[in-house]
Order: sequence, then structure tokens, then C-alpha cells
Amino acid sequence: MKSSAAHRSIFRNPLFLILPSILILICFLLLPYITMVVMSFRTPSTSKPYAPGFTLSNYMKALTDPYYLNVLSNTLLFGFITTIVCLALGYPVAYHLARIKSRYKGLLYVGILSPLLAGVVIRCYGWIVLLADNGLINDLLRKTGMIQSQVHLMYNYLGVGIGLVHVYLPFMILPILGNIQGIDPALEAAARSLGASKIKSFFRIVLPLSLPGIQSGTILVFVLTISAYVIPILLGGFKVMIMPTLVVQQILESFLWPFGAALALIMFAATVLIIFLYIKIMARLMRGVVG
Amino acid sequence: MKATKIRFDRFLYLFFVSLVYIFLLTPLVIVVIAAFNSGKYLAFPPEGFSLKWFKNFFQSQPFMDALKVSLKLGVLTMICVTILGTTAALYVVRHAKKWKNFLRLTMISPLLLPAILTGIALLVFYYIIGIGTRTFLGLLMGHVLITLPYAFLNVYSSLYNFNRSLEEAARSLGASQLKTFFRITLPLIKPGVISGAMIAFIVSFDQFPISLLLKGVGRTTLPCQLFDYILWDFDPTAAAVSTVSIAITLGVVLLTEKLVGLDSLRW
Repeated sequence: MKSSAAHRSIFRNPLFLILPSILILICFLLLPYITMVVMSFRTPSTSKPYAPGFTLSNYMKALTDPYYLNVLSNTLLFGFITTIVCLALGYPVAYHLARIKSRYKGLLYVGILSPLLAGVVIRCYGWIVLLADNGLINDLLRKTGMIQSQVHLMYNYLGVGIGLVHVYLPFMILPILGNIQGIDPALEAAARSLGASKIKSFFRIVLPLSLPGIQSGTILVFVLTISAYVIPILLGGFKVMIMPTLVVQQILESFLWPFGAALALIMFAATVLIIFLYIKIMARLMRGVVG
Repeated sequence: MKATKIRFDRFLYLFFVSLVYIFLLTPLVIVVIAAFNSGKYLAFPPEGFSLKWFKNFFQSQPFMDALKVSLKLGVLTMICVTILGTTAALYVVRHAKKWKNFLRLTMISPLLLPAILTGIALLVFYYIIGIGTRTFLGLLMGHVLITLPYAFLNVYSSLYNFNRSLEEAARSLGASQLKTFFRITLPLIKPGVISGAMIAFIVSFDQFPISLLLKGVGRTTLPCQLFDYILWDFDPTAAAVSTVSIAITLGVVLLTEKLVGLDSLRW
């Protein structure tokens, strides 16, 4: 009787509600990441994933070999360009949807969300059907006589760029949309009534106030882009080498686990550093604009 | 003169916006068209209607096995994270005091880390502790980890504006804590719980990087099988697989809409 009461009081403790989740996060997230950090200092081996003993040579190799540095800088540059293109395409769409007063608003919202309903492999396949040498776009261009021979639209940086922008564009639009919806249209109206042109009221009122949305969207797209694996392989056809491809290749094909782990962590560190600097710069830009 | 210029600017702006919508939707529409097109390559004009690519898909053992694995994995993941996410959200909203922000961040941390990196970390970890890198349990735990934040966030936001006086009324009328939860709390947070469960299923069903690193032999998921297939062959069987996959996801979304309405959805 007494033990059952004690039993009940233990389960009465609300900590039991979150304990399973925390245990899972410790066992399947924290410990694996620690293991990966340890792995990156292991001695490489040719017969097993790793050999006993610790070394710094994996990091030395990754940070001194021009090939790996080149892949890293390519990855970051590519992520940067994709993010800018997503912003340029996504901002007008977000602004339009935030300010529209049509009964089709819900439908347009679904239009932005619907690409998220298909997995990334499926969306890549859609682009393959369109962009391949014997794909729909080449076919249309040939039949209308605009080109004589095939134009290579994929298996190069162009194809990968198109795929990345397409897949991650909703992640740019949604935060900016939420942000602009929170800006009172009366502010614009006031600027207009005081004589500012439409362009001027946009650049002086809406754009500065939507900087937080831009910040969330760009960080999200940048992080997703530089860790993308499927798109560079399917639309780049192993001709576009970026960090995630390289890391998975080292781990699944070459079985160089310590080196693969070191490369992955270097990329992670570079990302964190870039985002940290970016947030600092944005904070300076936003000072005095956004409360 | 000025009026025409403004009208022209407006036209350009709307034209640009519509182009972006077309850009977003075209690949999906194309996949569905290609699935029903009889030709091996989608050409213009289309060559005719055919269901043979669907037949190919349903007769392909690897694809059907992968579909079964994906559905099983999605449902199990959904059940696990709905229970875990709901209870965790209850704790963070109601009981956590100064640790509230820290716990919230901890719960969504799998979302903040690149999935491919988490997959590699899990692969290395499973090997080291010796539970095997290719077990179904390992794959399931990877999916639970990745989808937990979605279930948590959806319940969290529906608990946030929760009026507790109804619970207090039930308690003061003599209902036990458990009874109050199932008769009062759960029905009120149902929209968040169901949307969270649905998103967890969709994210698991479409998940790729974690599955790529943790899948076992003969235990590949549908996105992985599709990836392997179109790596070498672009034939429209892949379009049929994609169309069925989109239809399943769409079915889940429509079910959510019917049960609780899509307003409660949090991506």
C-alpha cells in the first residue's frame, strides 16, 4: 500500500512529462554529435572505419589541401548566390501576398506552400524532366527553331542553382510574408500622403521594417542550401562537387570516417561563424529601425 | 503620361510575381503529366494517355517494398513523436519556470542542425556503441529525432493561449488529474496535436538524408529507392512513384483540413 503511494507520487512529478524527450535528445542527438567530434580526431585506417589513437592530421589535411579548401569556398559562394536569388524572387511575392485583398489570397498561399508537399527527390525529378538534354525545354526550343543543337541545362552549376532556388524559395517567402503582414499599411499611407512616391515610401518604410523577416529567411535558405545533398547529385550529376557530397562520399564510399567527420565539422564551424557575423551586421543595420 | 508609366510598372510587377508562382508549381505539374503520358520522354505535344507507368510501379517489388517501409516508418514515427511532443509541450508551457527558453530551444534543436550532419553523427554513433548502423530501430529513432520539433511546436502554440479555468472547474467538481486531461485538456488542444502528428508523418515520409545514411539492405524508404532509380534512369515510372507519393501527402493534408482545419498548422 505504502509502496504504491510512493510509486504514484513519483509519477505525479511533472518532470516525467518531458523526461522521455530529453533522454532521446541526449542519447540520439547530443551523444552522436560528441561521438562525431571525437571521431574527427581519430587516426584513419584503411581496413576499418578508424584506428586507435588520436591525431590532428584530419584537420591539417582538410585545411591545407587546396582541393578541399576550394570545395569549401565553392560551397559557401554557391550558398550565398542561391540566397541572394531566393531573396530577389521571394521578396516581391511575399510583399504582393501580404498586401493583396483578393478572395484568391488563400489559393496563392497554398501555391507557395504546395511545393513543400513533395519531397526533394520528387522536385528534382520534375526538373530533370524539364531540363534534361532530351527534356521538355530542349524539345520546345528545338521545335520552335530557336536552337539547332541541345543546350545543356543540367549536370552543371546552372541546373543545381535552379533546383536549389526552387526547393528553398518557400523558406524565404514565408518569414518575410509573416513580417510584412505585421507592418501597418497605415504607415505607408501616411508617407504617401506626406508626398513620398510609392518607391520612396517602400524603401524608407517597408524595407527597413521587414529586415527581421529578411534576416530569418536568408539564414534559413543559406543553411539549407549549403547542407543540401540530393539536388547537387541529381541535377549536378557528380560534376558539381560541394561539401555535403564530398563528406558523404568520404563516409559511405571511401570509409574515411575520421576525415569525413573533420570535413563536416569544419563546414559546420564555417556556417556558424558566417551566421554570427551576419547577425552582428544586421543588428547594426536594424538599430533604431526595429524596436 | 505618368499614369501609363505607373500602370506599366504595376503590370511588370504582377508579371514578375506570376512568373515566380509558375516557377514554383511547374515541376510538380510536369511530374503528374509525365506520369500519365505514354511516351518515354515528355515531349510537346504529349503523346497520349497511359497508365502503364503506374502498372510498372505497382509491379515493381523494390518500389512496393520501399513504399511499405516508408508508410510503416511514417506511422510509427507519428505515434512516437505525438506522445513525446505533447507531453513535452505540456511540461514546458505549464511547469518549466526559468528553464523555459532553454528547454524550448533544446526541443527544437534537431531542426536547427543540418539533417545530413545529424545523419552522419547517428551513423558513427550507432557503429561505435554497437547497435548496428542498419537496423529498423536506428532508422526509426533518426526519424523521431527529426520530426519531434514539429509535433512539439504545434502543441506548444495551441497550449499557449489555453484557458486553464475549464481544467480547474473539472478538478473542483471531483475529476481526477488523468480524467481532466483526457476529457478537458486533450479535446481543447486537439488541433495542435493532430496538425503536429500530420506534419510529422509528412516530414518522415519525405525525409531523405537521414534515411540515406541509416537505411538497411532491403529496408530502403520510398524517397531513397526513387533517388537510386533516377540516378540511372529517367523513365516515367519515377513520375508515377512521385505522383502516388504526392497523392498520399495531399490526402494527409486534406484529412487534417477536415479534422481540425489548416489554420492550426505550424511548419
